[in-house]
This record gives sequence, structure tokens and C-alpha cells, in this order.
Amino acid sequence: MEIKKLLFVTKFEELGFDALQSLLSLRKAALDHVVFVNVIERDKVAMHRGTGYRKQEEIRLREMANIRFIDWAEDLYEQGMEVGVYIVVGDLVPEVIKAAQKEEADLIVIGRSHKSMLEQFYSGSDITELIRRISIPVLVYKPVPESAFVLEKPFERPLLATDWSAADLRAVEYLKGLTNITQLIDVVHVASKKELTGSSVMEIQKTRKEKRQKLDEICDILDASGTEARSHVYIGEPVEEIEKAAREHQATMIVLGSSAKPAWVEKWIGSIPKEIAEESIYPTLLIPPELK
Amino acid sequence: MGKKVLVVDDDPDVLLFTVTVLEEHGYTPLQAADGVEGLKMIKKEKPDLVILDIMMPRQSGIRLYRELKTDKALKNIHVIVLSGIAKRTFLRSQKALTEFGGPEVPEPEIYLEKPVEAEDLAKTIKDVIG
Repeated sequence: MEIKKLLFVTKFEELGFDALQSLLSLRKAALDHVVFVNVIERDKVAMHRGTGYRKQEEIRLREMANIRFIDWAEDLYEQGMEVGVYIVVGDLVPEVIKAAQKEEADLIVIGRSHKSMLEQFYSGSDITELIRRISIPVLVYKPVPESAFVLEKPFERPLLATDWSAADLRAVEYLKGLTNITQLIDVVHVASKKELTGSSVMEIQKTRKEKRQKLDEICDILDASGTEARSHVYIGEPVEEIEKAAREHQATMIVLGSSAKPAWVEKWIGSIPKEIAEESIYPTLLIPPELK
Repeated sequence: MGKKVLVVDDDPDVLLFTVTVLEEHGYTPLQAADGVEGLKMIKKEKPDLVILDIMMPRQSGIRLYRELKTDKALKNIHVIVLSGIAKRTFLRSQKALTEFGGPEVPEPEIYLEKPVEAEDLAKTIKDVIG
């Protein structure tokens, strides 16, 4: 699968041109078109008592975004790339979906959700809603200062966390298309402590061996496509252990299949992809169960 | 009926402004909101002039300009580029695309950076297509 067109969704404060530049290694994997999206939240320009709709504020916000995008676009055009732009007033997720569908994008890049915990509880995070409503992979990008390491090539050493779900297997297919830009892929499964409650050492080791063998099957597929892959089994809480694995193996990104749980289930018991996307310091690429 | 002028721009305010200038000076304006729609209109309507923005959804003016200038049937249609993108960037972009194996295309006849005054735009259009 090729990434030819990327939708870069930004509110500027969290995703800047440095983040975009670090994604330009995707050019080796066919990227030649970047579409900028800036959604001006309705409440910034909405009707206020005594003032009505703040048209002038809308114009000001649009032009501020436009000026930034022109500057970024000039840089990309001069490299021979194609650039598009959407500056719209509305709700983030529906507007991103509209733009992604109109542009037939291959990847959406977005910063982490800016909703408060309370808003997320009632309406879910932007990212959860987005991944649920669209069958395009979503890369949740994290700002560099926060992650305390410089990510010049985020696709260089992805870490694939898998429990062999349908979405995880699609993630394998997705990574196969990125062999030009990945150097090494670490494939990780986190087994829960419950799975290791066998009565003997042999039983516990057998469980680990089975998991390891299943991971090796994925590694063989990735090796055959031209990217070296290594398997690792971790034990414990998935979110913590995936983060630990990423750190230990110097990953540049975490890749996961997105959850297929119903929204209400996810709201009450949580989901690992959502937690990683929201909490991890690593950029997180979420692959939906059904790719476009 | 006046000469046909196609305005390709995704900004409704710019479209309104340009179309008003065209109507006031006796031209027949046509409109398209992105490069893909613009190319379709050009093929269908064969306008006398295209006023072309650069940064747009779906297909930019840079790619549309290349398609126009490399199509035997369309390459003689006049083009005025009207954009916030600098002319230097436009030329460097075309050079980069040629270096990647694309055909060489001529510079646009007129390159105007936004914003432009109504009288200046009207005069430029008159200079190009009469």
C-alpha cells in the first residue's frame, strides 16, 4: 500500500512545519501530495449575545492560517510536491472526514486530542471518533519537545504492537508498503500475567514460545517484503509494556490496529490503541480494521 | 456575449471579487473551485483566458498549469496566475517537476500576487485578451 497523499491536520500550536518535515521521508514511499487542514472551531466565531456572528474574527483566523500554509506550501512546492489546503469553520472530525474523502487521502496526520477529560468522557476524543468513522490510517503525532527526543525520521524504526486482531494484520500489510523508509521493525506482543498462571515453568515457557512463534510468522512476512523485523514478548499491562518496549528498542513510532470495540464499551473499559494514542510520547499510527 | 474568462480559485471571496470585475468590463465569467474542476471546465468551455490560483484542494494551479501547457488543444489559452504563492516559488516548482522527468513548460504570461486592485486586474485582462 502506498502513501501518496497525506492530510496534515493542524491547529498550529501542536503540529508545526518541523513535524511535517520529519514526515517527508515518506517521499521515498511515494508521497507527493500534502493537504493542509485547519478547522476553526465554531465557538471561536459563533454567535455571541450582543455581537452576533463574528465574521471579522473568522476572516482574521482564516488569514492567519492561510499565511502559515502559504509559507509551508512554498517550501513543498519548490521540492516539486503538490499541496492543497482546507481552512474551514466547523467541527473538527466531520470536517477532517470531508476533506479526507474529497481528497482520497492515504494517511491522516493529527495531533493528540485537545478535549478536556470531561468532554472526552461524554463525547469521546477526537481521535477515537475519527478512527471510528473513517477507514484511513491515522497517525497521532506528538510534538518533539514533549517527547524529549528528536524525531527526524518517524518511520525509520516503527514498533508494531499486536494481539493478532484483524486490524493488527492490516497494519502488517501497511508496513510492507513502507520498506523504502523503514530500517527495522520491532514486533511486540504483550501477554497478560493471567496467561502465565501455569503450574509449572514448562507451561509458562510454552505459552511464551507459542506467542513468540506467532510473532515470528509476522516477522517472516516483513522480512520477505524487505524490512528486517524482530519479535519480542512482554508481560504485564499492555499500555505500560508497549511504551517500555518502544523505549528499549529505540522505536521512532508505535503502530497498532485500532479498536473494533463498540463506542460504549470503549468508553467504560477503555481501549489500548486509544490510550497509547492519547498518552504515549511516541507518534502513534492507528490502522483501522477496514482499510479504504 | 463577451469573451469567456474562467476563474479557478477555492476562495469564495476572491471568486466574487474577480467575477464582479469581469462582469463590469463586459466579459463572461466562468468559475471553478479547484484544479480538477478547472480542467474539466477548460476542456468543455475552451475559455479565452484562465485566471488561476495556485494553492487549492484536489489539484493545485501548478499541476493544472502544466496540464494546460502540455496539451496541444489547450496550450494556447491565455493564463494569468493570481495567487498568494510567490512567483519565484511557482518557477522553482515547475523546474523541480521538469527535473523529475516532466516536460518543460513556459512561464505564465502574467503572474500577479494577491491581493490585486480591481483596476489593475481589469487592465491586465484587457492587455492579455483585449
